[in-house]
Amino acid sequence: MRNIRLWQIACVIVVLSGRGYAQSDAVPIVAGFERFARHQEISQQVAGRLLLTELSCTACHSATSDDLKPKLGPRLDGSGNRLEHEWIARFLAAPQKEKPGTTMPNVLAGFPDAGRSAAIRALAVFLSSLSEPFPDIKGNGARGVPHEFWKHGDVDQGRRLYHQVGCVACHEADEDYETVETKPSPLDQLLEQLDEDELKELGLSAASRRVPSVPHGNLAAKYSPQSLAFFLLDPHKTRTGGRMPNLKLGVVEAADITAWLLRDSKSVVIPSEQAQAYGDDVIETGRRLFGELGCSNCHSVKGIAPAKMAKPLVELNLAGPQNCVGAPRSGLPHFPLDDFQIETLKSTLTDDRNNASAPGKTLPGQQLDAQILKMNCLACHERDGRGGVGRYRRPYFETVGHVDIGDEGRLPPPLTGVGNKLQSSWLTRVLKGTGDVRSHMRIRMPLFPADQVKSLPTWLTQADRDSKTAGSEKDVFGDVSKLAEDGRLLLDTGCVQCHPLRGDAVPGVVGIDLEGIASRVQPQWFHDFLLNPGKLKPRTRMPTFFPNGKSQNAAILKGDTERQISAMWAYLKNAGKLELPPKIQKARSQNYELIPKDRPIVLRTFMDEAGTHAIAVGFPEKVHFAFDAEQVRLAHAWRGKFLDAQGTWFVRFAPPADPLGDEQVRLPPGVPFVLLKEAQGDDDDFSSPDFDAKKAGYRFQGYRLDKSGVPTFLYRYGRFGIEDLIKPGADRTLVRQLTIIDRTPEEPAVSLWFRGHFGKSLKYDRPFAYTNDAGVSMAIPAGLKHAGELEAREDGTHWIVPVKVERKKMIEVRYQW
Amino acid sequence: MVNRMTLLAVLLCWLSPEAPARAAEENDYYRLVSVSVAETSTSSRAKNWKPAPDGLALEVSGLAVLDDRRVAVAIRKGEVWILDGVYDEPPKNVTYRRFASALHEPLGLLKHGDSFYTTQRSELTKIRDTDKDGEADEYLTVAKGWGVTGGYHEYAYGPKLDRDGNLWLTLNIGMGLKGAQLDRTIKDPILGYRQGRWRGWGMKVRPDGDLVPVCAGMRSPSGIGANADGDMFYTDQQGNWVATNSLHHMREGAFFHHVEALASMSEEGSPISGVKKVPGGLPYPEAMKQFPQLRPPAVWFPYKKAGQSATDIMLDESDGKFGPFAGQLFVGEFTQAAMNRVFLEKVNGEYQGACFPFRSRFASAVLRMSQGTDGSVFVGLTNRGWSSLGTASYGLQRLVWTGDVPFEIKEMRAKPDGFELLFTKPVDREVALATSSYEMSSHAYLYHSTYGSDEIQKQHLTPNRATVSDDGLTVRLYIDGLRGLFVHELVASHIRSQDGEPLLHPHAWYTLNRIPKE
Repeated sequence: MRNIRLWQIACVIVVLSGRGYAQSDAVPIVAGFERFARHQEISQQVAGRLLLTELSCTACHSATSDDLKPKLGPRLDGSGNRLEHEWIARFLAAPQKEKPGTTMPNVLAGFPDAGRSAAIRALAVFLSSLSEPFPDIKGNGARGVPHEFWKHGDVDQGRRLYHQVGCVACHEADEDYETVETKPSPLDQLLEQLDEDELKELGLSAASRRVPSVPHGNLAAKYSPQSLAFFLLDPHKTRTGGRMPNLKLGVVEAADITAWLLRDSKSVVIPSEQAQAYGDDVIETGRRLFGELGCSNCHSVKGIAPAKMAKPLVELNLAGPQNCVGAPRSGLPHFPLDDFQIETLKSTLTDDRNNASAPGKTLPGQQLDAQILKMNCLACHERDGRGGVGRYRRPYFETVGHVDIGDEGRLPPPLTGVGNKLQSSWLTRVLKGTGDVRSHMRIRMPLFPADQVKSLPTWLTQADRDSKTAGSEKDVFGDVSKLAEDGRLLLDTGCVQCHPLRGDAVPGVVGIDLEGIASRVQPQWFHDFLLNPGKLKPRTRMPTFFPNGKSQNAAILKGDTERQISAMWAYLKNAGKLELPPKIQKARSQNYELIPKDRPIVLRTFMDEAGTHAIAVGFPEKVHFAFDAEQVRLAHAWRGKFLDAQGTWFVRFAPPADPLGDEQVRLPPGVPFVLLKEAQGDDDDFSSPDFDAKKAGYRFQGYRLDKSGVPTFLYRYGRFGIEDLIKPGADRTLVRQLTIIDRTPEEPAVSLWFRGHFGKSLKYDRPFAYTNDAGVSMAIPAGLKHAGELEAREDGTHWIVPVKVERKKMIEVRYQW
Repeated sequence: MVNRMTLLAVLLCWLSPEAPARAAEENDYYRLVSVSVAETSTSSRAKNWKPAPDGLALEVSGLAVLDDRRVAVAIRKGEVWILDGVYDEPPKNVTYRRFASALHEPLGLLKHGDSFYTTQRSELTKIRDTDKDGEADEYLTVAKGWGVTGGYHEYAYGPKLDRDGNLWLTLNIGMGLKGAQLDRTIKDPILGYRQGRWRGWGMKVRPDGDLVPVCAGMRSPSGIGANADGDMFYTDQQGNWVATNSLHHMREGAFFHHVEALASMSEEGSPISGVKKVPGGLPYPEAMKQFPQLRPPAVWFPYKKAGQSATDIMLDESDGKFGPFAGQLFVGEFTQAAMNRVFLEKVNGEYQGACFPFRSRFASAVLRMSQGTDGSVFVGLTNRGWSSLGTASYGLQRLVWTGDVPFEIKEMRAKPDGFELLFTKPVDREVALATSSYEMSSHAYLYHSTYGSDEIQKQHLTPNRATVSDDGLTVRLYIDGLRGLFVHELVASHIRSQDGEPLLHPHAWYTLNRIPKE
């Protein structure tokens, strides 16, 4: 009851708003046919064959050729929870009325009047009985799946997505949707200024025309939010023909677009109670009719085989009295085609009958063209002057952040010569959805069913490549083994102004990352494109660096154009492993390199030498060190550049930070001071002290920064508090001031030793100074009065110096290397 | 014309009873103000992740409200910033001042006394500006000594303060340790597990600076918080040994899920001992019988339904300035960029309770939350390394109560023979009395080393009877077949308020560890 009332309401709304769905003179809309055939931009033969597949003629009229495989209709298992019952009935009664433009024929047009409505009801009841649970969408750390996401779509967000991700490439945009204004392209400006005749004369008629849209029908009457959201998430599950591509939506995106598409409407309830009120006998009748009427030839339902085939295609004669496109006939589906569609079909069928090569054989190029038309690739991509997003849809193609990088930066790339440009393996990846390199575009390259696109890479390659352009890397570039460094420098003079590399870029640069380009494009194309970009890609923003084939840079490879192009290929082929071009490197260092200018810079991080409690300190004097706060020791020193902080700041895997500079030295392991037991005689016992901070009982206590930003490390060792200030001294040395405070001076004195130096061997430099085998010289102040002792042990030689502390003592030591 | 008008009138009459009053939205009650959010061009999991080209990389990992103008935020790259003007609407004139730097992925921020406290990967640090020039000059180590092998999962979170002045922190378990990282592990002699010292533990730092291990078995304990009584809780995230996200009461000697934390069982100071064998592959209630140290969470958050990765815990201390949920806990949600709400009660001396969806559609993963002086809640966002819903990569938003009370299940209490529901507004008595208005079921989880668990041993429940209090705010459900240690799910989609509103969130999940005796 409720649904009937809803339908009445819907009708009234339609009447009142004048925005009707009920155009009885509607004909099936096939995107490629409407756009190209009606303007004689494809041959009648191609147009007719397109109708044969898209109207699924060949589902009943067998054809031998593979490219005449019918599109077929949606799989109907699960239609009981996907489609509203009354909608099914209305659609069956008058497909073009319920969904203008549908390619579904009126199967019951020729059915005896007396039984028609009962038959429709039985079919609808049968379809509504086919229930199949919606898939459980797994959530994980990479995918957020809110509970009952389809109930929580956001209309505004859905509207934005609908206009951004690609829906409007085929479907109608909301005329009130405002895009961010972009500068009209030169072509658009030209189109604005010309009248119809001029456009025709210049061959721009197609470019100036409004591209027809694929109508949605009244979605709110057909789908529940849940069924529409699941359809958008995986359209190929039901529409196996794949004409509606998969836009790789997240569940919330699908819910949002659903909310937008079903806006202003009270959503229908599926499954409806009404459908369930009928008995099994009605379901059975419906099931029987579904087979008998040939529904199962196009729509798969588990357990129902296709009906027997009608006349083979070659025997079809549309001139005769019994056919599917003339007046409705009992036992035949009725396609309400217009005269032009019928004429196109007629002539194609006649041609096919008369043509010796048809309909069994097709040339590769024809197969390719047919497939591109069927899948409507041309809605987004231009190929050989045909297709593309069209003048009026262009504004919906935006860049992320509205960066102006021209039409190339926001429109899907043209497919003209793409088989000559891209390696077949890369085309395959793009079609599999794992080759997205244009993250600066809002539009998404969608997915199509594998069986519809798997041959495209081969066909495109066959169609576009000629022997001249088929060269291997060796043929094109010769020996590139020693050219990478030249290539790196050449990239710096141009490419980096517009292209990122490995995710890094000169400030403000947005575009295709050149990393991996050698596994994407053909060597010959790379060569030819660099030599003369405009020749391969008219109106490209890519400038030429070799005007008239001449290099502008005589300094590299003697200005040899060919060698220079080869060098750039050589570099890009291994760009992942090689140093970045200088300008990108500079940009990167501006982002991530820590360059102490007037104050020191401190960075806590992981480091190979200084461990997982490392504190690196860099100085404007270009002498730097790393302190290990776990082992409480000065661990590492170097000169020149300080550190790259990207890993520490922004890389999930928390990689160790590598010092950038040179003249790196490891400093001796272990804590700076030890307490030795008083042994017999004068000598303290050095046989078993612990150099390990934890075992020795050291406690790191942090650091203070002085006015100039230099840290003083603070730690405890037994009764002593130690303040450790390390900074550059004269001659690029490090000077370390160790202030030792006895916190319990009233207690008996203990024997504290400073661990002066250590090495496999120690060389005597002068009094109070030794150099170890790593080349690090250590000097202690003569003021300590005691030159210390050398202790040879298994691990090497230790130089230890006794330190007498009365309340507080400062010693200054110097590291030279 | 007349006809058309008549038709219109008829249409309106027709439509009015069925016309969809626009479904209430979370935004009508809690609206979001973006202080600063940014979208990056790289994906959150990209190895070459980059912040947005301009502005501060405000990947908020710690949040401390300072006063009615300012908040301090810790950001993941290792800095503390003080933001002024964050309550303005719109927040157009926020100023940013860097206060501290050189911190290694700080994952918390607390203002306590004249100092800030943050937990870095390797230590708990007290940060002060002793010369009052506006920039910190003292970074003192309050506590350290936990294992840091270098494995990136070894996050250290906190601190948060308890009623006794102890600072609490939690230590993420290490995962996939290899090479030199293993040299920095310790191994339990009996069970053989290897981890960095105290990895997977909840620790407290006494005011005297002692680092005390309290409880163990944590996997990704990214949220810590006190309830109104000052008891300390943490959240965990689904993964190995952890069936789904959970909220736990941290107390001495408790063991929660992740067995590799037992690598530190024999360390000095460990309050856990005597675990000789670990059960696996059993329903959690069964596993508890074989593993007496195992303590069930106070709340399980059923996966996807109530989030996918629980984060911060925030107590609503605003006394009503943040709406009708004063005294309840709010739990952040990373993957779904959302916030859930928790009601807790004590049954036989132990905490248990229910969780409810609260607010979705934050701009990015919710990692930190802190209540402003006006009751609004500052929310720190960052999704780098993982993924989240929402359009941004990081930022700071503020959640403000609009003053309208949403129709919600405010409390769900366990009773010996059912549950008691307290609503924020009086219910439609007729609907609430019908037992068919309540869809209920209960389920358990598997305790095993595998990643997460399905809901197992599911049983549907139907209340025998429902009663409604005179004021219409309380509904008492009488149910047979309650199961201890099972999660009890309630879906009350049919319930209406006296004004005919449906519940803003009809779901609730009660973790019924104990069935009260009275």
